[in-house]
Amino acid sequence: MKESPERQKLEAVLRSSGMVAGGFLGRDRRPVAEIIEADAAELGRLGRTASDLAARMRDITKQARGGLETPVRVGANLEARMIEAKGSLPCPWPHAGRYPKGMVIATRPDTGASVRWSELSLHLIEAHGFFQGRGSRYRLEPRDAVAVLF
Amino acid sequence: MLQALTILFSAAITGNIVLTKFLGMCPYLSVSRRIKTAAGLGWAVVFVVTGTAILNWLVYTYVLVPLQLEFLRFILFIIMIAAFVQLVEMVIERYSPVLYQNLGIFLPLITVNCAILGVSLFMVIREYTLAQTVAFGLGSGLGWMLAIVAMAGIREKLKPDRIPKGLQGPGITLIIVGLMALAFIGFTGVLGG
Amino acid sequence: MDTLLAIGVVSALAAALAAALTVAERFIADYGACTITVNDDRRFEVAGGGTLLESLSRNNLFIPSACGGRGTCAYCKVKVLEGAGPVLPTEEPYLDAAEREDGMRLSCQVKVRRDLRIRIPDELFNVRPFAASCVRIRELTRDIREFRLDLNDPAEIEYVPGQYIQLQAPAYDGNEEVYRAYSISSDPAEPDAIELVIRLVPGGICTTWCFEHLHEKDPVSFNGPYGEFRLSETDAPMILVAGGSGMAPIKCILHHMQNRGCRRDAIYFFGANRVDELFYLDRMRQFEKDLAHFTFVPVVARPEAGASWNGETGLVTEALERSLTDASKHEGYLCGSPGLIAAAREVLTKLGMPEEKIYYDAFA
Repeated sequence: MKESPERQKLEAVLRSSGMVAGGFLGRDRRPVAEIIEADAAELGRLGRTASDLAARMRDITKQARGGLETPVRVGANLEARMIEAKGSLPCPWPHAGRYPKGMVIATRPDTGASVRWSELSLHLIEAHGFFQGRGSRYRLEPRDAVAVLF
Repeated sequence: MLQALTILFSAAITGNIVLTKFLGMCPYLSVSRRIKTAAGLGWAVVFVVTGTAILNWLVYTYVLVPLQLEFLRFILFIIMIAAFVQLVEMVIERYSPVLYQNLGIFLPLITVNCAILGVSLFMVIREYTLAQTVAFGLGSGLGWMLAIVAMAGIREKLKPDRIPKGLQGPGITLIIVGLMALAFIGFTGVLGG
Repeated sequence: MDTLLAIGVVSALAAALAAALTVAERFIADYGACTITVNDDRRFEVAGGGTLLESLSRNNLFIPSACGGRGTCAYCKVKVLEGAGPVLPTEEPYLDAAEREDGMRLSCQVKVRRDLRIRIPDELFNVRPFAASCVRIRELTRDIREFRLDLNDPAEIEYVPGQYIQLQAPAYDGNEEVYRAYSISSDPAEPDAIELVIRLVPGGICTTWCFEHLHEKDPVSFNGPYGEFRLSETDAPMILVAGGSGMAPIKCILHHMQNRGCRRDAIYFFGANRVDELFYLDRMRQFEKDLAHFTFVPVVARPEAGASWNGETGLVTEALERSLTDASKHEGYLCGSPGLIAAAREVLTKLGMPEEKIYYDAFA
């Protein structure tokens, strides 16, 4: 499929490992638009939208940050811990803004299942509906996210 | 003089190169999103089509015909067009970097805009004189620009509207082209062809 | 015969056109020599046509860049007072309205076509690329290591204690080359070497390279120094707060205070999650002996079972609140994650510290 120059540049940036190790697309050879649509469809089947999920993740992130790297209890059955690293990353989409590095790890104490995300991967979900390609280190499977966070 | 003007008018309106002859569709569909960029590309095409028509006429009349090498016109016209577009690229990059960036890949793609090669080949088929070639080139270019700016205007106007998902982008654009072409058919009677 | 003629004509015409284009390029794309005036003070004569970033770097003036001029990181912002032309579409997404009004541009996208006048932070004049060798790697905790780099070319570095450098992690394992910032933690009295305290970030490009691919005796490149975090010139008492690798610039500042015989009151709260995440304890105890009025307060959030810990517990911000009632005369020096800095700032302002007296090292 022929893509506009902006789309091609976006895909090139997402595939490169200049920002994060392995890039944002991992082993996935599908075009970005397809990845976004497939994940949106999956979320739809689970009865959620990307913005619901992102709002929940934001709330958990805020509470986890207060723990200053110690685990924090969020609600009845979730534990979250934020590990921050120095530095920030720009978003691969062309707009201003930098996202601090670091990771939130949310765990269900009963099942032991956990998901994790970074400030940037949260922004990608919230603003662009992008969960990252399969094989990417920070890909969040919509199924796992919904199971753990709701 | 009158004949040249008639040729110019018919090339721009009644025999519009993109709406009646369907040449130059590719950049027409891709760069017709914003009026400003469409106008910029339109002017570039006017300049290239007129310039290459003149140069190609000169090369054809004074080199190919005397040496009986008319069959080389396809190769040579394309070479001339490619060189000319390179020149235009350089000039635009120097004097309007914003336009250069906005056009992006579509500036060098002017080279393979079949409308430009089409004009040179029509000029040969119709055995135009130099004056007629200038009028024809200029008219075709202006017609192409008119069509793309009109298309951009329509698309900009349609922007807030909800177009069905499957038709967004190329789908609706082609429908618009079809409707515009239908409208232009109304002109065919004006000059008797 | 006909074929030869045909080939001849085509070749001749193509050659003539190529020649004409070359000549045209000489004239059209030749921007001549342009002068870049920096801070209304220094002047650089450069050949026009290149980007501002390249032209400056060829003259040994290094604007920070993390993406190599691709226009994706927005680190290379420079204030252009005149001569840059209109803002390009590739710059637009990265400049907000206020920046555009100010004349901020992405120097990797601005092409030098005529004389330019620009403004950059003065400290950038002192930034250089350095070639060094890693001479010692020491494990400080499970995921923090100290790297000592001996400088080769240039052989010495001049920096203000508290500043950082950008370390180059070369391409490896399919990853591209990247630059990452780390504060200098060594004694500034040793200008021929620097030490960095680096914490392994799971999946981090640079830290993974440092921990898995960098060995003693390997060559290392970096540039710097950068940063505005430093000791103030006053005599006010200081409260220092850091966690993890945030210790680095604090340690450098403490060395500096010792070298200068500084007698300022200073108390340093160092936060960690567990006892085995503390490090440099002996070094800090030594500072307590050598500096006139320095106190070191390590704070462990959750001492693990089996580790006998008699010091402060809980979050470092809690320990801060317990120890002080009034911080209105103090200055604050914070270094660590954005979360820690935000929490510490809140506590310090609550204790009366004026906002402008809180200095922090925020890489974000």
